[in-house]
Amino acid sequence: MFKLDHKSITNGIKAIATSALLVSVSIAAPATVGEYEIKNKTAIDGGVTYKRANGNYAAYKYNEQSTKGVNFGREATANEIKAWDVDALPDGTGLPEGEGSVELGDELYEAQCASCHGEFGAGGNGYPQLTGGNQDKDENGIVITLKNQRVYGSTDAPKRTVGTYWPVATTLFTYIRDAMPYAHPKSLTNSETYAITAYLLANNGIEIDGVEMDEEYVLNKEKLMKVTLPNRDGFYPNIDGPNAQEDIRAFFADRAKNIGSGTRCMTDCKDPGGKDGKTEASVVKIKYEMSDVVPPYSTVRDLPPVVENKSVSKAETLYNESCKLCHATDSMGAPAVGDTDAWADVMEKGFAEVVHNAIQGMGGMPPKGGNMDLTNTEIKQIVEFMVDSNKKH
Amino acid sequence: MLEESTSISRRDFFRKTASVSAVAAASIIAPSTVLGSDLDDKNIIHHTKWGTTLGDECNFNPYGLPSKYEHNVVRRTSALMSSAGDMHAAISMTPLHELEGIIVPNGLHFTRTHNGVAHINPNEFRLMIHGLVEKSIVLTLDQLKRYPSETRIHFLECPSNGAAEWKGPQFGSLQFVRGMMSCTEWTGVRLKTILDELGLKPEAKWMLAEGSDGSEMSRTLPIEKVLDDVMIVYAMNGEALRDEQGYPVRLLAPGWEANLCVKWLKRLEFGDKPWYAKEETSKYTALTASGKAIQHFYANETNSVITSPCPEYPWTDLKVGDLVEIEGLAWSGHGTIKGVDISFDGGKNWVEANLKGLVLPKAWTRFSYMYRYEGKPLLLQSRSYDDSDNVQPTVNQEKKVVGVEGVYHRNAIHTWAVDAKGKVTNVQVRS
Repeated sequence: MFKLDHKSITNGIKAIATSALLVSVSIAAPATVGEYEIKNKTAIDGGVTYKRANGNYAAYKYNEQSTKGVNFGREATANEIKAWDVDALPDGTGLPEGEGSVELGDELYEAQCASCHGEFGAGGNGYPQLTGGNQDKDENGIVITLKNQRVYGSTDAPKRTVGTYWPVATTLFTYIRDAMPYAHPKSLTNSETYAITAYLLANNGIEIDGVEMDEEYVLNKEKLMKVTLPNRDGFYPNIDGPNAQEDIRAFFADRAKNIGSGTRCMTDCKDPGGKDGKTEASVVKIKYEMSDVVPPYSTVRDLPPVVENKSVSKAETLYNESCKLCHATDSMGAPAVGDTDAWADVMEKGFAEVVHNAIQGMGGMPPKGGNMDLTNTEIKQIVEFMVDSNKKH
Repeated sequence: MLEESTSISRRDFFRKTASVSAVAAASIIAPSTVLGSDLDDKNIIHHTKWGTTLGDECNFNPYGLPSKYEHNVVRRTSALMSSAGDMHAAISMTPLHELEGIIVPNGLHFTRTHNGVAHINPNEFRLMIHGLVEKSIVLTLDQLKRYPSETRIHFLECPSNGAAEWKGPQFGSLQFVRGMMSCTEWTGVRLKTILDELGLKPEAKWMLAEGSDGSEMSRTLPIEKVLDDVMIVYAMNGEALRDEQGYPVRLLAPGWEANLCVKWLKRLEFGDKPWYAKEETSKYTALTASGKAIQHFYANETNSVITSPCPEYPWTDLKVGDLVEIEGLAWSGHGTIKGVDISFDGGKNWVEANLKGLVLPKAWTRFSYMYRYEGKPLLLQSRSYDDSDNVQPTVNQEKKVVGVEGVYHRNAIHTWAVDAKGKVTNVQVRS
């Protein structure tokens, strides 16, 4: 139907020729990157390595003069490295001292994590689900539910929880300590982190050294190092051991087999991915359009709507930073700002009691909403703002 | 004519010229408000408001702003791109349908955050480089900028770009179909330049890059990439990074998952083993139909999308016979785009498009094709190929290898359905 006209072929060739002139592609083995020699033809990601030579790098020029001796900055002190180098490797290297029980983890989890991750880590509030999902394996050691594919009417999604999907448990520890709780990261001690990690591992049915993790189970560095999560071998290519990078290179070199790649047929093509390689293509349309985008779609060029110059109070700023995450809607179980009925119930206790509860913590809410940097006066101002906002609505 | 004019006396000449000038001057002061015919455009016949008043002072906006009329040219997001509508761990999409060329303005660069946009005081910023190096160092921002700089144009793409559509089309716009990417001129220091001074130990095989935001976003990179083209960047399109892009400093791993280009950079550690950070295990791993997941999935594959026409700017204004340009973007994290093919019939037959503008490694590349509009329904597709022998797969070719639950690295050929009236919708061609 659409023949290649002579002009477009010539232009195509010209474009290719131009790009070939601009970039000096080096795919001949062995290429050198830094001090490292690449033994195979492709880079580790399966792509091309461009040579830096004689001031030319692909289409760019660079300054060929030596940079040897450029030396800014200062040596890091041992204390500085100790302060920042707190990561842990899968073998446990870098894990800190400390210990925490499943029971303590339960308490901490209920107070600081359940509002987002659900009871027992079961999800349900839109944030990641941490437990659940069937860990049973097939004869090849593959977690069966991870093979679930939501096609042809199947609706069971594979569950990427700690117990079914995550490869190593040290990740759980470091992530909780460095990045959780979500609104107040780095507020947990190492021992509290061991406790929450223990609670989550227990709820994922993980055994350590053949021992079931009951309420009294106390997790520490030595025990966490011994955890092997069910899906430890569920990932490829291999990234461990001395040959890891060559394994990765080999994997990405064979992209047609491993990640899927196309073919450049020009006329009368049948979809090579079709069921029998010949089937006529069919057209799938949008069933339920996701159109609730923010701001709404528009390509109109007009004057923007006039926005009142609203000044934001300090209390509102503090509210936005420390309280809004849970109190903006009732999805987290907290009384939503603007919900007059809910706040009428809250205020029955009296203003002073509400402020007291906000400072001490209550139900799922940690003391001061988890932000211990807030002063009692600031908490009072925030509560005033929240109460006041309900009156306005 | 000539004879007649030479016969006019000097005095006559000046008198006539003066009267003509008077008429011209009168029309400037009191323009006609009557349109001569329906064909006359009042925007031409009448004087404009901006042509008859004094504009703003030249430096009224010390930092220039887009025209007020461009207020709809913005990033957009959706609850689907977040956790339960919480926009601290979310993503916002670049308005590809409004962009020209290959450079995205800084305010429109797509944004992904895992714990909100951090605001770093540059005076308190420190970057630590340590681990398996002869000398561990700490740099301030000013010290980092003392190293010789390099400037490169590279795209950044979230490997989730297009992830909502593994199981079928969902979004009716170019912005949401492919907007998790941007292309920028980055400036910073090549990491190898610094490492040459620090002395990398031979057993150093991996690098951990760690951010200083609340999520302490961290990822492991293999040393080969680090020594090839990885940069520590502090400028985009000639100015400081925007907060949303990691101000003051982020890592840039050209062509690779934007998630590896750690923002609000704090620490680079060299080691002999990979770290198994959260964002490279529980996330950013692609679960395939085999039940196993691809990890350390580095490069964004060769990809392309037609940007004109698109659902936002369809062909509904065209008349049969109009000659119109089909335009689009192609990109590959593996190398340089070599060419792009276009199909009008859902992939049965293809023609070669032309590349235009700069053709650079790991950068957006524009393609173009002149098309005679026929007012017939079309299934419009583009298929790119690059200099490392990658060709974009069909939806089915990709699904056959990796299934539909992988989330990341979807680069299947995209289809716009154009109906007989020129309306454009998002569809998928399947067997």
